[in-house]
Amino acid sequence: MVNYDAVVIGAGNGGLVAAIRLLQGGARVIVVEKHNIPGGFATSFRRGRFEFEASLHELNDFGTAENAGDVRVLFDELGVTDKIEWLQIPEAYRVISREEKLDATMPFGVRAFIDKMESYVPGSRKSMERFFTLAENIHAAQAYSNSVNGNTDSKIMVSKYGNFVRTGSYSVNEVLKAIGMPKKARDILNAYWCYLGAHCDDLSFIHYASMVYRYITKGAAMPKMRSHEISLALAERIRELGGEIWFNTEAVRIITDEKDGGISGVVLKDGKEIATRHVVANCSPHVVYGKMLDKVPEKAVRALNARKFAGRGFTMFLGLNKSADELGIQNHNYFLYDTMDTVKQYEIMKNIDTNTVQATVCLNRAYPECSPDGTCMMYFTTLYMSDDWGNVKAENYFSTKEKAARIMIERFEKDTGAKIYDSIEEISVATPMTYARYCGHPEGVIYGYESQYWDGLTPRLLMMKEDYITRGLRFAGGYSMRLSGYSSAYFSGDISGRQTVGDIKKEG
Amino acid sequence: MDYRFKKQIFGFMDLLRFKKLVPNRRRHLEEGSPTHLPESYRVNDTAAVLHPGPQKAVLSEIIRQTADTKTYTFDLTSPMFFRAGQYVTVRAEIDGAIVQRPYAVSSSPLTALREKKLSVTVKKAGYFSGWLFENAKEGDEFTVGDPSGDFYHDGIRDSFHVVGIAGGSGITPFYSMAQAVKEGSEDFDLTLIYGARTLKDIAFADKLKALTGDKFRFVCVLSDEKQEGFEHGFITADIIKKYAASDDFTAMMCGPEAMYKFVGKELESLGITGKRVRKEANCIGNRDVKPVEYNLKVSIGGENFEIKARSDETILTAMERAGLKVPSKCRAGGCGYCHSKLVSGKYTISGIDKRRLADSKFSYIHPCCSYPDSDMELIVPNG
Repeated sequence: MVNYDAVVIGAGNGGLVAAIRLLQGGARVIVVEKHNIPGGFATSFRRGRFEFEASLHELNDFGTAENAGDVRVLFDELGVTDKIEWLQIPEAYRVISREEKLDATMPFGVRAFIDKMESYVPGSRKSMERFFTLAENIHAAQAYSNSVNGNTDSKIMVSKYGNFVRTGSYSVNEVLKAIGMPKKARDILNAYWCYLGAHCDDLSFIHYASMVYRYITKGAAMPKMRSHEISLALAERIRELGGEIWFNTEAVRIITDEKDGGISGVVLKDGKEIATRHVVANCSPHVVYGKMLDKVPEKAVRALNARKFAGRGFTMFLGLNKSADELGIQNHNYFLYDTMDTVKQYEIMKNIDTNTVQATVCLNRAYPECSPDGTCMMYFTTLYMSDDWGNVKAENYFSTKEKAARIMIERFEKDTGAKIYDSIEEISVATPMTYARYCGHPEGVIYGYESQYWDGLTPRLLMMKEDYITRGLRFAGGYSMRLSGYSSAYFSGDISGRQTVGDIKKEG
Repeated sequence: MDYRFKKQIFGFMDLLRFKKLVPNRRRHLEEGSPTHLPESYRVNDTAAVLHPGPQKAVLSEIIRQTADTKTYTFDLTSPMFFRAGQYVTVRAEIDGAIVQRPYAVSSSPLTALREKKLSVTVKKAGYFSGWLFENAKEGDEFTVGDPSGDFYHDGIRDSFHVVGIAGGSGITPFYSMAQAVKEGSEDFDLTLIYGARTLKDIAFADKLKALTGDKFRFVCVLSDEKQEGFEHGFITADIIKKYAASDDFTAMMCGPEAMYKFVGKELESLGITGKRVRKEANCIGNRDVKPVEYNLKVSIGGENFEIKARSDETILTAMERAGLKVPSKCRAGGCGYCHSKLVSGKYTISGIDKRRLADSKFSYIHPCCSYPDSDMELIVPNG
C-alpha cells in the first residue's frame, strides 16, 4: 500500500494551496482530484474562438507589487506570483437597482470612492469616512490575528483593535445604520453583498467591511489567461516541490483508525488504498461526513445539520460577435438587483422564475485582447437561495436552463440598454446541476455554508480548534473557516495546510 | 480619522455581545439534528442522469443500415439524457488494448432516459469501427461514456429553423435530432439535406421519411446516380435555397472535411456565415509522414510506462496501442479531456490549436491531436 504524510482530496483553490504548504513544511503529499484538470471552479474552457473564464469575476486582496494585498503576499510565499501574468480591473462596479432607480458606478481608491459617493449622496461623506475607519481597524485586527496564528490576546484586541470587537457581533445593516449612513449610500455600498451570498441583516459587518476595504484599497486583479493560469501555476509548483497530483482519481472513502477514530487512509474509486494519517479535504463536509467517512461522530452530524447551504450557482457564458463598444456594454462589472433591500432580494432569488439578479462581467472592459478583434465575452452569474433546481426533472432540464438564460439576457438588455441577443455566437450555461457534477457539491451549492447571523466569519475563526472533530481531518475551500470566494479559499488552504504540517510535526 | 464605534447605550455591551459569538455558535451547532446526513440530493441525482459517467452497457441489437454501416443499440445501466446531436464514447478491450471512440448518438434522448437504450451508427472505417463491424455481437459488454459535444441546436444562439447538412455517416446526429423534434425533447424546425453517393448508401431512409411532418423535412442528394424523387449532384447553394425556403436559418453540418469546404462556400454565397454555420469536428487520423519510432515515457497515477510511439500516429493512439488506460473523448483536439502534462519532447498539433492559453504556457498537450516529433515524456490522467 502506498503511504503519504498527507492526502489532499480535491485540487480546488484550497486544496492546491494546502498541498504547497504541506510540501513546504516537508511533508510527502499526494493530491487526488476527480476531474481531469486542477482548479475546481478556477478554470476556463474553450468554445469556438473564445476561451471563457469559468468563475473568477475579480480577485480580491491581490493588489500590485507596490501595494500588495494578502493574497499576493501568500502567492509570493507559495512561489507562484511570477508564474502568472496579472492585470488590474479598471473600476470597482456599476450597480443598478430597479426599486430605488439606482444606477451608480464606483471607482477603486478610498478617496475616489468617498468622493463619488458624496456626488451620488450629498451628506454621506462623514459616514463613509467612518466606514473606512472601521474597515481599516478591522483589517489591522485581522493582520494581528494572522500574525499570532489566531491566538489573540483579548486585552490587546480590546485596547488596540476596539472597533473590531465592538462591531464584531453585528450585521452589515446594523453597523451601517448605527454610523448614520444615509439609505442611498448604504444601498450603493451594499452592492457587493451577492459576492458573499448572505443578505445584509445576516452578513457579518466585519466580513463585509473587510472585503470591501480590500477591494477599494488594493483594487481587483485577474490573470490574463483566466483562472486556469492560476490553477496550473499552483499545480506546477506542487510538482516542483516534489508533490504528486493524480487526475481523474476520485477519493470515495476515508477510513479511520480503530483506536482513536482518527484518519488512517483514503480509498480511491478503483479500490486502491492510500495509507495516511492526514487528510485535507477540499470538498463539502456534508459529503465527507455524509458518505466518505466510515465512522461519523455525532458532534459532526449535529454541527453540519445545524448549518445552512448558501447559494446554488448559475452562470451563463456568452461569446459575442461584436465588440463591447458596438453592443453598448460600457462597464466591466455590473450588479443588477430588483431592490437594495437585501432581505427582500434574497427571497426573490429563491425561485427560477423570479430570480433575474445578476453579477455580470464583460472581460474585454478589463482586458480588451481577451477575445478576437470585433468580439467580446461576457459571463452572468446568479445564486439561487433555495433548492428550486431540485424540482427540475431531467426531461425539463434543457428547457429550464434556456428559460433561465433568456431572462438573464433580457434583464441585462433592459437595465443597461445594451443589445446583445442577436450577436450571441457562443453560449454555454452552467446550472446547479453543472456545479453538482463538476465539484460534487450538494444541490449545486457554490458558496459553502451560508454566513448566517450566528455562523459568520469571526466565530468560525475563533472556533477553529473545536471545529476540528476528527483527528487528522481538516477542510479547505469554500465550506471552511474562511467562507467562500477565491481569496477565502486560498487562505483556507494556507491555514489548513500549515495546521496539518503542525499536526504531522507533533506526531514526530 | 479617529472614530470609536458604539451601538448600545453602554459601550461595554457591544463587547459583551462579541464575547457571546462563540458560545452562541457552539449552542447552535450542538442543537443540530442528530439524524444521518443525506446520502443524495435531488440536484445531484439529476446531474447524474445528465452526466452518468462511464457505465457498463450491453450490446442488445445490431442492425445493418447499408453495406458498410450498422446501428448498435446498447442497454444502459443507468438512464441518460442528452442534447440530440451529442456523441458518446464507446469503449472495449481489443487484444489487451483499451480502445474507445466517440460516436454520435443516433437514437432519441427520451429513449435513453425512459428505456435506458442508446444507439450509435457506425461506418466501417478505421481500427475500432472495423473491429466493431466484424466482431461485436449481441450480448457483448462495453463501456459507454457521458453525452458530450456542442453539436446541438441552441434556442438562444441559433435560428429556430435549422438546415442540417449531412454527408455519409454524418447523418447520425440528425437522425437523433429528427426523432427528438418529433418526441418533443428538442424544439426547432429541421430541414435535412442528406448527401450520399447512391440510393444504397442512404441510412435510415424509410425511418427519416416516416418522421417528416410540420417540423421536419428531408431531402436526399445523390452524387453518383439519378433517381426519381431525389436531387442529383452535390449540395449546392441552389439546393439549399430551394429547400430552406427563407434565409433565416442556422446551418449545421456533419460530414467529411471536403464537404465542409464545398458546402461552406455555397452557404457563404447565400450570406450564411459566422455564427450561423456550425460544424461537427471530425476525429483526427494519421498524418502523412514517413513513420519514425520514438520512445514515450508515460506516468499515470504514479505508475511509469515506457512505450513506443510512431510519428505518423497521434500520441493517444500510441498509448492505447500499448494497452494503457488513458482518457479520451472527442479525438479532435477540442474537448480537452485527454489534457496531459508534457515533461519533455517535441510534438506537432494537427490543425488548429484548441488548447486553453495557459495550457501551452505550462506545457500541457492534448494527445488526441498531437503527433510526436521526438522521444517524449508525459504525465497523463487516469483513463
